[in-house]
Amino acid sequence: MRQALHIFKKDVRHLWFEIAVVILVVAAFTFTAARRAHWLSDPGTNRIGAWTLVMILLPLAWWALIARAIHDEALPGDSQFWITRPYSWKSLLAAKALLLLVFINLPMLLADIVILHAYELRPFGTEFPGLLWSQILLAIVYILPIAALSAVTSGFVQLVFAILAPSVVALGIAIASPNAVIGGFWGGSDWVKTYYVFLIIALAAPAILVWQYSARRTAPARFLAAVAAVLAVLGLALIPGSAAFKIQSWLSKRTVVASVPRVAFDSGSKWLTRAVVEKDGRVRIELPLNIAALPSGMAAKPEGFSVQLRAPDGTTWRADQVPLRYVSDMDQKFSLQFTLDDAFYGTVKNEPLTIHGSLYLTLFGGRQSARIPFGDRLVTVPRVGICSASGGSPERSDFLICTSAFRFPPVLVSYRFMQSANGAPDVSTSTQPRSISYSPFPAEAGINPVSQDFTFSSSPSSFSQALVDTIEPLAYIERNFTIDNLRLADYEVRPPRQLP
Amino acid sequence: MNEILRTVDLSMKFRTTMVLDHLNMAVPEHSVYAIVGPNGAGKTTTIKILMNARRATGGIAEVFGHDSRKLSPADFAEIGYVSENQQIPDWMTVKYLMNYLKPFYPTWDDARAEDLLRQFELPPDRKIKNLSHGMRMKVALASSLTYRPKLIVLDEPFTGLDALVRDELIEGVLECAEGSTILISSHDLSDVESFASHVGYLDGGRLQFSEEMTSLADRFREIEITPAISSQPRASWPGTWLNAEQSATVVRFVDSQFDQERTIAEVHRLFGNTERISVSPMPLRSIFVTLAKAGRKAK
Repeated sequence: MRQALHIFKKDVRHLWFEIAVVILVVAAFTFTAARRAHWLSDPGTNRIGAWTLVMILLPLAWWALIARAIHDEALPGDSQFWITRPYSWKSLLAAKALLLLVFINLPMLLADIVILHAYELRPFGTEFPGLLWSQILLAIVYILPIAALSAVTSGFVQLVFAILAPSVVALGIAIASPNAVIGGFWGGSDWVKTYYVFLIIALAAPAILVWQYSARRTAPARFLAAVAAVLAVLGLALIPGSAAFKIQSWLSKRTVVASVPRVAFDSGSKWLTRAVVEKDGRVRIELPLNIAALPSGMAAKPEGFSVQLRAPDGTTWRADQVPLRYVSDMDQKFSLQFTLDDAFYGTVKNEPLTIHGSLYLTLFGGRQSARIPFGDRLVTVPRVGICSASGGSPERSDFLICTSAFRFPPVLVSYRFMQSANGAPDVSTSTQPRSISYSPFPAEAGINPVSQDFTFSSSPSSFSQALVDTIEPLAYIERNFTIDNLRLADYEVRPPRQLP
Repeated sequence: MNEILRTVDLSMKFRTTMVLDHLNMAVPEHSVYAIVGPNGAGKTTTIKILMNARRATGGIAEVFGHDSRKLSPADFAEIGYVSENQQIPDWMTVKYLMNYLKPFYPTWDDARAEDLLRQFELPPDRKIKNLSHGMRMKVALASSLTYRPKLIVLDEPFTGLDALVRDELIEGVLECAEGSTILISSHDLSDVESFASHVGYLDGGRLQFSEEMTSLADRFREIEITPAISSQPRASWPGTWLNAEQSATVVRFVDSQFDQERTIAEVHRLFGNTERISVSPMPLRSIFVTLAKAGRKAK
């Protein structure tokens, strides 16, 4: 430990400029973020230019410090001064870790505390788990990858190329085939992909660091870094949505009896079935489904589906893991949309098909409401954070803003403005809940420790208060359905022909 | 005599090039062992493997009887390594470097540090990046001698230095090296001739010979003979005769296994009576050049 402190002191002395830059940018970040707490009542506090700049500069300043600290005792190569001196690799690694903890994690921890206080959130109360978890995410997202890359490169130029080369490859692939790099969007369960990447980083980066510091085997360490990068990208592209949903289902707060609820073809709305032949020849199928026997007080939200079409001769066609955006829902009735291969459609459209499918659903319940009186008074809203509303006079727009710590709340939130404080509310305006992440973790990867959501009304009505409604996800279930004897030709819709 | 450094069948291959080819070398304790050879012979590679800065592709390298890949901080506390291409933290001042290194070495001697800085005329408050190449080498040497290392390893320490600085460095090393073992590499024999006790000649990744300087000087002789009757040029020569040249009246060669009686007898056997035989001792530099030429001819 004595040697680690000795090296640490040397690094502080040598890297004082980089450290000063980091601390200055963190201070600027803290100042601008804290002042934004009042941007609703005083828009002048929202220095958007400074805010944008600071959000760009902060990671750059961190990365410069990390790279300089590690490259001070570079690991690849055979001419470095330190490798023939009595350095203990554990002390050297500990010294670098200490430097990053003291000058990256600690300032950000303090910054988060100050910013949360400014928003009147409670860093040492309900937000404490998020405060700690955000430090772990800071290490995984911003520190460990650059530290590992710095450990397998001998200088700044090599490091920049180590970052740029795979980024350019990924960019090329993303342009050519968008889903190949980040895969589909899995709605609320998309965090599973993100945490898969975090897991890869959390395993690979420390392994690379320990391996390099203990043995200085640069070529195998670089290979490990490349393997980790490939695994991360492959995971993003190839891990099926059903697997993410399976993991999500383990996190259900409430078990739902297997027999309920049920998903079935909505025969009453059979007319909503479509086989739309697109101009490019492909065929978009739309299937109406409904959901029955939902437990009382619960609402279902579709997350995605899989479907398989089987012709009488056994020919099959599958659409796996169709994500959320291809499901439209109206009050527990869903329309599934998927695009069929035109050759398959041409072969089977006159055949009675059997369709097997699985629908991934999130069941919401436990509705809670909180009233927010106008007057810019901060009100604690359980599950959400702090909300305040302003308006209530014809001269001012009615405005509601809610602030959460470290992530958007893992509940569906909708907002309403009301004319009457007592009795039945006269709802003038409401907002659709935004899509949310079902992540069980108390923080999301990001620099800003607060997330804000707001709504406003420019209605001439005079409102007296706002209402924040929340429902929480209670269970994640998969339900299978079967549709027999569906002849797609019966529902075929062709685009109108253009007149010559 | 104990061996401080030892290699057994040490090999190093860069892609298709064999840089070290089953090198077997031993450096006795308290010796000043000069490892010499032309550029590209494998001297620096050998030293870097011994210092665990590089990994061999085969064989064994040992320092203080330990596998060089497992040298501990305690081992390095007894090694002073100075290399021509070593990257010293040049943002430090001379004094800061010495103060920084002090806690790493249990045997650090402050008085000696001051003496060395004074002896080498090093400005304590000047940053290393503002020093000349020669001054930097002095800094590296001073920072490696202050803790009285058991082993001093100097890899081409005199390259690019003027004669004065070179002499100062040699003087500094020799003054501080009492009880130490020194391994020094050089492509210029004159650098090490004056103080090496042992020499190993490396060429093409192979150790051509390794022996004490005195015996090396004893066994190499430059011989010039004038045969009594001019003889026809010979197609072949004894294997120990290197770089043999023959004109109508004079024959010249270097005998690498000189023995007064045996060599004269061999001359008489090959040339009969001679008018004159001149036997001259050789400076190490000439031995080195002879060996280098002979090596090239053999290739």
